[in-house]
Amino acid sequence: MSLTNQLVIAEREEVARGIRALLATPLIGERGSPETFDLIRRRREPIRQWFDYYCGWTLTVEPRLGYARLVKVRAATDPTRPARRLRSGRAAFDRRRYVLLCVVAAELLTVPVTTIGLLAGRVAQASAADDLVTTFDVATRAERLAFVDVLKLLESYGVLEAADGDPESFVDDPAAKVLFRVDATLLLRMLAAPVGPSQLAVPADDVALRFEELLEAVSHEQRYGLSSGRHEDTPSASDVQRNLWLRHTVFRRLVDDPVLYFAELTAEERAYLGTPTGRQLLRRAAEQGGFVLEERAEGVLLVDVDGLATDEKFPDDGSNAKVAALLLLDALDEPRTTDYLQKATAKLLKRFPRWAKTYRGKDGVRRLTVDALAVLTGFGLIRTEAELVRPLPAAARYTDRTEEAP
Amino acid sequence: MDPIRVPPEMFRFTDGSRSGLPLAILHAFGEANERLETALGIDDVRARLREVGWLETLDDEDLVKALDQLRSQGHLDVVQSHAGDYRTASEYERRNLQYSLSRQGEAAYAGVVRANEVLNASGALQTATLEALGERLGELAKQLEDGTDRRVFSTLTEVESHLEAFRDNTKRFNGDLQRLLHAEADLATFHEVKAATVTYLQGFLNDLEHHAHTIATRIKEVDDHGVERMHRRALNGASLPNPDPRWLDVRKARWDGLRAWFLPEDGATPRVEDLHRLARRAIITLLQVLDRITESRRRASSAVADFRELARWFTVVPAQEDLHRLWSTMFGLSSARHAHLAHADPEVVSTTASWLDAPPVEVSELLRSAGRTERFTRTGRVRDVSAIRAARAEKALQERAELEAAWNMLDTGGVVRLSAFEKLDHSVFERLLDLLGQALGSAVGADGTRRSTTSDGQIEIVLRPPQTGAVARLTTTSGVFRGPDYEIEISTAGGGA
Repeated sequence: MSLTNQLVIAEREEVARGIRALLATPLIGERGSPETFDLIRRRREPIRQWFDYYCGWTLTVEPRLGYARLVKVRAATDPTRPARRLRSGRAAFDRRRYVLLCVVAAELLTVPVTTIGLLAGRVAQASAADDLVTTFDVATRAERLAFVDVLKLLESYGVLEAADGDPESFVDDPAAKVLFRVDATLLLRMLAAPVGPSQLAVPADDVALRFEELLEAVSHEQRYGLSSGRHEDTPSASDVQRNLWLRHTVFRRLVDDPVLYFAELTAEERAYLGTPTGRQLLRRAAEQGGFVLEERAEGVLLVDVDGLATDEKFPDDGSNAKVAALLLLDALDEPRTTDYLQKATAKLLKRFPRWAKTYRGKDGVRRLTVDALAVLTGFGLIRTEAELVRPLPAAARYTDRTEEAP
Repeated sequence: MDPIRVPPEMFRFTDGSRSGLPLAILHAFGEANERLETALGIDDVRARLREVGWLETLDDEDLVKALDQLRSQGHLDVVQSHAGDYRTASEYERRNLQYSLSRQGEAAYAGVVRANEVLNASGALQTATLEALGERLGELAKQLEDGTDRRVFSTLTEVESHLEAFRDNTKRFNGDLQRLLHAEADLATFHEVKAATVTYLQGFLNDLEHHAHTIATRIKEVDDHGVERMHRRALNGASLPNPDPRWLDVRKARWDGLRAWFLPEDGATPRVEDLHRLARRAIITLLQVLDRITESRRRASSAVADFRELARWFTVVPAQEDLHRLWSTMFGLSSARHAHLAHADPEVVSTTASWLDAPPVEVSELLRSAGRTERFTRTGRVRDVSAIRAARAEKALQERAELEAAWNMLDTGGVVRLSAFEKLDHSVFERLLDLLGQALGSAVGADGTRRSTTSDGQIEIVLRPPQTGAVARLTTTSGVFRGPDYEIEISTAGGGA
């Protein structure tokens, strides 16, 4: 094998790894993961082209500033990928933390350097000035904890840099001294949605009512003209725009979600995937991204055998709920009620007595069922309608048909 | 060029910033000089001082002191004027002293004026200067043809002054540009300055090439007439009262300077190309900076509003699930999610088969039975593609390393005989055979050698026939090779060769 071939192979592998790394972590900093960043920096052109062509997503690599940002534009449908607290347990952000995150971000944009105390003061002022947002109370420990969680998240993205002191110390001592440097450019790049919420000027009372519509509105991109997601397409949307929109909207779901079911696509999107061009693009995108493409009658999915492009793995023994989820699938040979599934879970708890530690008592069965079903939902394997849990086609990938249901 | 030396006391008057009076006095003398008044009495000085903007009260004693100080530093000369009409002794004392700028004073004042110019000037590259330079050079060539010595002199002077202006401008412009590229503090002003600079630079670049070409052509024309002869004619035309022997040297140095910019004699890159490159690079850098500024300006103000509005949205969105969806949508920082178990052989299942009919992927038995995945051992049945992939990548890497190692080992670093290898590892020997085969397959050159390079250009082999039909004997781990004892030379592109 000649050197040239070796180099080509090496490049292909690296590009594929870079693509999947960015899918899992859309903002990669040199400080946090130097090797991955270096790889993306070296292979940025083919990686950028891949995202641009298939998904219409922009990749910005700042070699000197030391970060790469993939701007994932997409109205999210999956609620199971929240921001997480950077503590053991990695609990999802709650409302308070999300709110504080935004208030902090707004305050940080105006200062290049600040201390934790000054920042807390500004956040308190800003939240007091807003009639909706609950005023930040620095005297409460729970508030300080939430505040520090937010700062640590921003720190992990490289937006904040603690130049002196440890933010954690603020939790116990509001007088703690921590000096922060702010990367304003990066802070600006935090927002991925092409339309700013302030441009929409929605009355606060309407936000909850029109929530779905708002998610669409902030993700609206002008480049697709009227094609984007509107079923009542007008002839004024050009073919080019429509094609672009079809490709991007399909691939965005494909590369970001575990399973793409044809049933969830519009007729036009389905038709697009059915064309020889569509099929060929699927194959090429998967190959370049280092995925194994699985095409079935009901849909397609990308398998990432290295587990790079994913936040969680299934099946996996990462948590009791995941193991339970895998075993519960066997009980889901047809739509089942949650009652039925809870009985199956109860059997599992007997089989694995050690799980009782986390799922103690009578409520434990219910909690384990809920957690396990959440795992399955997150991987696109079931859908819950009222009290009925319906297996989705891809669930069959994991069911053991040789054994009897537990 | 000789190092620049300045008389020690030259700029003494600028040290003490106490009053600025000495400078004002020099200024007054400078202004007077322009009106061809070379000597001023103390009253004249006072009047002139007011004209140049010195409005503080000043008694005679202080003024005389300042004048004396300037005199002692050599900036002023004093002469006694006996021509005046004095009525009293005190008036005589006051007015008989006439001051005038000394040569050094003149220079010092000129220096200050120039320094001020440099401080206040902003650099500009003027196409007009280049155009004038080209035009004057053309004129110079014409005058050399059929003009008088006097015209040659005046045209040459013009050429030199245009060159001087061009060099000055360039110097200053480069300084400004570097400062501009570094300073990013005040975005608002720099945005405008930079935008203007880019437009301007683009215009300049468009003309630069054309003018540089014209100038180079004209220089050649003048050269054809003989530069030395031209300078002698100019000297003649200058009709200086007592020609300085260095005059011709200075002219020659200037002419060499001109050539260095546009048409270097040694065929080196003309400096004007550096300017071209510099300007082009500056445009790119400026545009990038501008982009960033525009973007951050556009977004910074609205981003604050966006974050604030978003905080409100997060406050009122009812469901916990919607909070996370809002986060994913707005920030786009959530991970993708994918399955990691693939079929052992994905090709065998039809793409139109239902998931229900397709065989399931192989899930670890241990996970099902004991709730754990294998950490240390793998059951034979579970085919882990990632391991195979890793092994393949490992193998490819290893092959590449072996290949490179073999090449390095074969690198002879000069001409050797084949027999010199004596013992070889078999894999290395195979590489050697490959190379030999390639070389033997190529045509014999005029000098009896055969040459060949590997397809990737990494290795070159040169082969000469054995002198006396000698036979080489190479031992490898798998046997013995006998063949003609070629003289060979192998070198790797990246290796020690």
